Amino acid sequence: MKLYFILISGSLKSRMQYKMNFIFSMVSYGMIMAVDFIMLAAILRRFDDVKGWDLYEVGLLYSISSIAISLYRVIGAEVHDFERYMVNGEFDSLLIRPVSPLFLLLTRNIDLSRIGGAIQGLIIIAISVAGLMKTGKATLLLIAYLPVAVLTGLIICFAVGVLTAALAFWTEKIKDFQTFTLYAPFTAANYPMNIYPGLLKIIFFTVIPVAFMNYVPVMYLLQKGGEWWYLITPAAVAGVFLTFSLIMWHIGIKHYHSTGS
Amino acid sequence: MITATNLNKHFKVYETKKGMMGSLASLFSAKHTLVKAVDDISFSIGEGEFVGYIGPNGAGKSTTIKMLSGILHPTSGSVAVGGLSPQKNRKDNARRIGIVFGQRTQLWWDLPLRDSFEILKAMYKVNDKDYNSFLKLYDDMLDIGKFIETPVRKLSLGQRMRGDLAAAMIHNPDVLFLDEPTIGLDVVAKTGIRAFLKELNENEKKTVLLTTHDMDDIEQLCRRVIVINHGRIILDGTLEEMRETIGLPSIMEVQYTSKPEVAAAAPLGLERLQWEDSKVIIHYDRSILSAPQLLKEVSSWGEPVDIQMKEPDIEDIIQKIY
Repeated sequence: MKLYFILISGSLKSRMQYKMNFIFSMVSYGMIMAVDFIMLAAILRRFDDVKGWDLYEVGLLYSISSIAISLYRVIGAEVHDFERYMVNGEFDSLLIRPVSPLFLLLTRNIDLSRIGGAIQGLIIIAISVAGLMKTGKATLLLIAYLPVAVLTGLIICFAVGVLTAALAFWTEKIKDFQTFTLYAPFTAANYPMNIYPGLLKIIFFTVIPVAFMNYVPVMYLLQKGGEWWYLITPAAVAGVFLTFSLIMWHIGIKHYHSTGS
Repeated sequence: MITATNLNKHFKVYETKKGMMGSLASLFSAKHTLVKAVDDISFSIGEGEFVGYIGPNGAGKSTTIKMLSGILHPTSGSVAVGGLSPQKNRKDNARRIGIVFGQRTQLWWDLPLRDSFEILKAMYKVNDKDYNSFLKLYDDMLDIGKFIETPVRKLSLGQRMRGDLAAAMIHNPDVLFLDEPTIGLDVVAKTGIRAFLKELNENEKKTVLLTTHDMDDIEQLCRRVIVINHGRIILDGTLEEMRETIGLPSIMEVQYTSKPEVAAAAPLGLERLQWEDSKVIIHYDRSILSAPQLLKEVSSWGEPVDIQMKEPDIEDIIQKIY
């Protein structure tokens, strides 16, 4: 853990060498996020409910999903940007160290400019919880569970990210895949799963299990159905999925081709 | 200390098509060519040896080094460093080897050199006492102190290479893999680096495997040379043995005022002449015919206006071995 902080502070110090660029990207992401938020609010105001989920309930789903992916983009910036390491053979430099390459990758950069998305999510969570309190739907259990949901969401997102990155060991380029494995599922998870047709729903419950980070537990917590174990399965699914993605990652490393000298 | 046994590394090169579907399709397509980057290589390097590993571009030098350092996994056969498999014990292996890639720095580009050292110190768990004696030793040997506070991106190529060399030694490894450490450096910087490497090998008893394109590196540093071409070893012997096989191939380019008259009786050691109008490119063997002798000879052929000494290409040397 100490090494993590030494390496991270090294990376941050490197970024700070280009202060203007850092500030600029922070501001621009903040603005993109704000626009995004306004769009969402505008859309939700037009509908009273989405298949039995009202504005505040959808707000919960939305914010859990968006905080999860934003935090992943902050701490997993280089996992997300992994194809660079394949294309120019930079992965070599991670393999010559007596430390896990995935650990080194995580310390290469944390993208603080993405933190705006998490802050936006927190604001929406606060608004949603406040709204649900008025109708008496926000129980103590719900509020206590939110951090767990965000954490499982982050783990699932990280696992999907690592799995997609591991693809790069075979395909080199992964930017196109990320649309399907990360952006689309996590945007889809902003809304309740019951709005999607069968096949998509199956995908979100199995291949890319985003349904478990917010839809499954929140459904139970809002008394829309389900059993108490709806609160346990997400953590189990996240754990299994993370293990699977780490195994694929290690198999991928064995296939690493490097580049010509 | 370092062994390779029937080592093979084959790459499947697929035709890549554009876009995501293309890259998926090429994954499953049968259309590929098999490139044998390393083709059944075996060698054994003892403790304290200084071995030159040479060959033309794409001969498989870097691929071998990458397998020895645990970056790549062999298709078949095995490598071992100090008895350990770099693939099975990658982390342990990493702790006992130092690696320098001349083409790519391992230092933190935007940070002062000292920060890179501090980070590596933490990564390799080097204690303060060893770290301080490291700093002192490498300041003596490489004069690191002069630029230790400078961000790496602002260092000259020679300084950066010295920094890279020191960084590779911070955990005091027994084995050093150097992939083209003198590439692109000027003569002065090269001389400094060679002196340092010699000292490391002789005083610190480090085992060194060096790849280079520079025949002078080989001449001045290596007692043993392994030559590889198309993934296969074509010569493995002492420097003297290599000299006996290929001599000291050298090139002199002489520009004359007009087309010269070459004496019929060519001196011993003169191997081949190439003509370009009034310019002659002379391939000769420096171990038989010295440069001053040749100079005397060429000035008898005509009136030279410009004379240049050139390093022979590795490709020429390979030709002579066959």
